[in-house]
Amino acid sequence: MAIDKRFIGREYGPFTYTIGAEKLREFTLAVGGAHPAAGTPGEPPAHVSPLLYDDQAAKAGPYGDLIAFPSFAVVFAIRPFATAVADPELNLNLLMLVHGEQELEFLDVMRPGDVMTTTGRISDAYEKAGKQFLIATTESRNQRGDLVVKGTWTAVIRG
Amino acid sequence: MARSFQVGDTFTHVRECDVYRPIFYAGASGDFNPIHIDPEVGKVAGLDGVILQGLCTLGWAVEAVAVFVGDPGRIRKVKVRFSRPVRPEDTVTFAGRVTAIEAGRLTTEVTATNQRGEAVLKGAVVEASIG
Repeated sequence: MAIDKRFIGREYGPFTYTIGAEKLREFTLAVGGAHPAAGTPGEPPAHVSPLLYDDQAAKAGPYGDLIAFPSFAVVFAIRPFATAVADPELNLNLLMLVHGEQELEFLDVMRPGDVMTTTGRISDAYEKAGKQFLIATTESRNQRGDLVVKGTWTAVIRG
Repeated sequence: MARSFQVGDTFTHVRECDVYRPIFYAGASGDFNPIHIDPEVGKVAGLDGVILQGLCTLGWAVEAVAVFVGDPGRIRKVKVRFSRPVRPEDTVTFAGRVTAIEAGRLTTEVTATNQRGEAVLKGAVVEASIG
């Protein structure tokens, strides 16, 4: 059943998220291939930049502090999209839902202590080749009101 | 540290999705959708077991370019289409090529292919500042 076009434009948020240094480390090492042990995020693999997990190296580096691995943004910026696809009024079959496409734009780095506020909206919904597509766009701003991350999220509902 | 980049430069990055990676990524990212952590749910969903979060594969494409330019803080944009799931014990090879350099920004096209030669991402483009 096609997603009702009247849901286009529906807004979700704002959602607020405070970035913590240990969460950044955990994320960067999980993506980087570390094997977590009890209570630790694991040893950093050689290809992972110390700017992402080593306080001293990061403080001596170009940003003066740890920075987030860029796609860490999904941890908080996904909220409007996740809320939209689970919106009971849309009545989507979440078991048949897959993440089809993703676009992220980074206008600045993210640092520990940054407070990110994300808003989003359903920007399109259509049917193609027997599948339903739901597109959400998001904007995440830091505590100074600067736009830091823009996202375009595409869900595909199979069958 | 000055480094010059040219259109046509290429790079590769190989990542293995070990058996626990979807669970590690779930914990780190908060994406606990059961299709990533519960094989029975994956089977019911017609996926033949669990699949890796597409956003982890996106992260690896970003990582490939971050390693190439030498600084993850320079990544400015990523765009991907998830064309095929990555499964535990898959090995994914990311192959990138610089397609444009303009105004201090480098554009790369990145392919991501599993060990059977199947594309897991399509049309992946990653941009980084080099200014």
